[in-house]
Amino acid sequence: MTKRSAQNASGFALPKLCGADIELGNFIVGMERIGGTGYDASHALIAEIKGLPLRPSSYFDSYWSAAPAAPKADEDARYESCGPKTNSLYNPQDVSRRFLASTGGSAYIDLNHAELCLPEVVSAYDHLAAWHGMLTIARTALDSANEDRAAGEKIHVLVNNSDGLGHSYGSHLNFLISRRAFDEILFRKAHYLQFLASFQVSSILLSGQGKVGSENGRPDTPYQISQRADFFETLQGAQTTYNRPLVNARDETLCGQLGNDDPSAPARWHVIFFDSALAHGSCLFRVGPMQLVLTLLELGHVNSKLILDDPLHALQLFSHDPTLKSRAALINGQHMTALELQCAFLNEVKRHAAQGVFEGVVPRFEDIIALWEDTLNKFVDNDLMSLAPRLDWVLKLMAIERAMEQSPNLSWDSPQIKVIDHLYSSLDDDGLFRAYEASGFTEQLVTPERIAHFSTNPPSDTRAWTRTMLLRRAIEDRVEVNTVDWDRITFRIKGRHNWPSYRTIAIADPLGFTQAHAESIFDECSDFNDLLDGLESLSVGDSTIHDTVAIN
Amino acid sequence: MRFLQRLNDPQQSHAGADSDSGSGERLQQIRDQGDSLLAAGDDAIQRALAGSNSEAFLRSTRQLGGQ
Repeated sequence: MTKRSAQNASGFALPKLCGADIELGNFIVGMERIGGTGYDASHALIAEIKGLPLRPSSYFDSYWSAAPAAPKADEDARYESCGPKTNSLYNPQDVSRRFLASTGGSAYIDLNHAELCLPEVVSAYDHLAAWHGMLTIARTALDSANEDRAAGEKIHVLVNNSDGLGHSYGSHLNFLISRRAFDEILFRKAHYLQFLASFQVSSILLSGQGKVGSENGRPDTPYQISQRADFFETLQGAQTTYNRPLVNARDETLCGQLGNDDPSAPARWHVIFFDSALAHGSCLFRVGPMQLVLTLLELGHVNSKLILDDPLHALQLFSHDPTLKSRAALINGQHMTALELQCAFLNEVKRHAAQGVFEGVVPRFEDIIALWEDTLNKFVDNDLMSLAPRLDWVLKLMAIERAMEQSPNLSWDSPQIKVIDHLYSSLDDDGLFRAYEASGFTEQLVTPERIAHFSTNPPSDTRAWTRTMLLRRAIEDRVEVNTVDWDRITFRIKGRHNWPSYRTIAIADPLGFTQAHAESIFDECSDFNDLLDGLESLSVGDSTIHDTVAIN
Repeated sequence: MRFLQRLNDPQQSHAGADSDSGSGERLQQIRDQGDSLLAAGDDAIQRALAGSNSEAFLRSTRQLGGQ
């Protein structure tokens, strides 16, 4: 493991690398299916996103279909020459997964939802750009999929987390933390868990998308801040599709076999709490403050005065009150609003920032803190008009209330209002956020050029760069890509007498295999086997690198 | 009273006394400015409201529960 960690007496803080796996709402208007049209919509959408490995649609297709294929366009033919000749077992939560040779991310179908996975980034700002870059890819796929629909049918894609009919789907984040911190939060120190849950619950005023109505048996409400709040029912657990926990305990490192006995070894912190976001501020606030708070936890800087007595109850109170007046009890007997609690967490972060704890761990932490502070100050000043371009739930609420003022016959119960709620996040031309974005109303925290870059390129400072370049080289050299995962790729390579052999390259270190580490190897190796040899040697050498930064 | 009016109500300011002085005029300016900016979404809203059958659209959004 390449150690670029910050160290103090409390231990190590790993750079807060971040990934994401985000499910979309997808359905077809004009098509009737019992149980909905998610299957048809998600398959049509994912079919339009190119990636590797290609999976034959069935065992029969791959082995017994002798009919000559129709001529393919050049690009399609190159991709298909890299497809494996075997099929995998069917898993309804991982169908048709393909990794993108454009960005290093992936896309697949999870329980009839198209799911978009972002490549690993280190900076919250790069996460924001990579997310909007991925939405650009999804929007292109949607346009293509709709071209092939029957007359009267149209695929819709919503970047939200609830269908309004009692079903929720996630927008998950993943952060790199140390194994020690992972164990302490979940299994050793209960106040760490409560601290994190209290932060998350109060943070919905920054990251919520907003939703009309309530679900999952919760009390009626006209409008609430969070899409997901109604669906959280327990404090901690590994499950994600039922009895959803505020803090998720799924333990998949996706880092190969790195340092299992080392407390500073990597673990993957899986967060299922947040809403999907479109507004740049909301999107950034899903990631940046979490990077900061996870760093505090990793270093043992936990202020027990900021712990809610019942985070689940507080989440309902906070989400169902867009006026931000509701107070929830803390374990010390105080009662705080979500805004007050966020101000307290911000002060805690600022206090530690002054000690240098985020140096080398959270890129642009000063910018994140400044934006966080500016946003909370605007809430304190009730300056919502300045927040609407930055935060989804405020913008959506303003748009809906404006619609109701213009059409006095509408009320919160009107189906038209729920339609606006849904169409806020539509990827198609009918999307309300898209309209505000096109008009220049929404705040831009990253440039359109940066978003365009991440729609066709990987991050340069994580292993996503090497993953992407390997896939591109395989396509170019027509090498078969057998399997791809986040931390390894297996190729089927022709050896002597065309006898096939399989080679797996491990890209276990998420902070290794960057452009700076690997580009020269790609430049120097024209033969594919030589390239893999070179990357393997890089992997061996990389494990000895320890450029630890001492702080405090 | 709309949610946003309640949030903007100086009587209920989160900032307390500091924000009372002169805030009414300023808030009205913000609202006026906001109205013109929010107009950018009016076409999209009108298209949503003009949709032929909102209830049918809402039924079609049905999803399987996800993660």
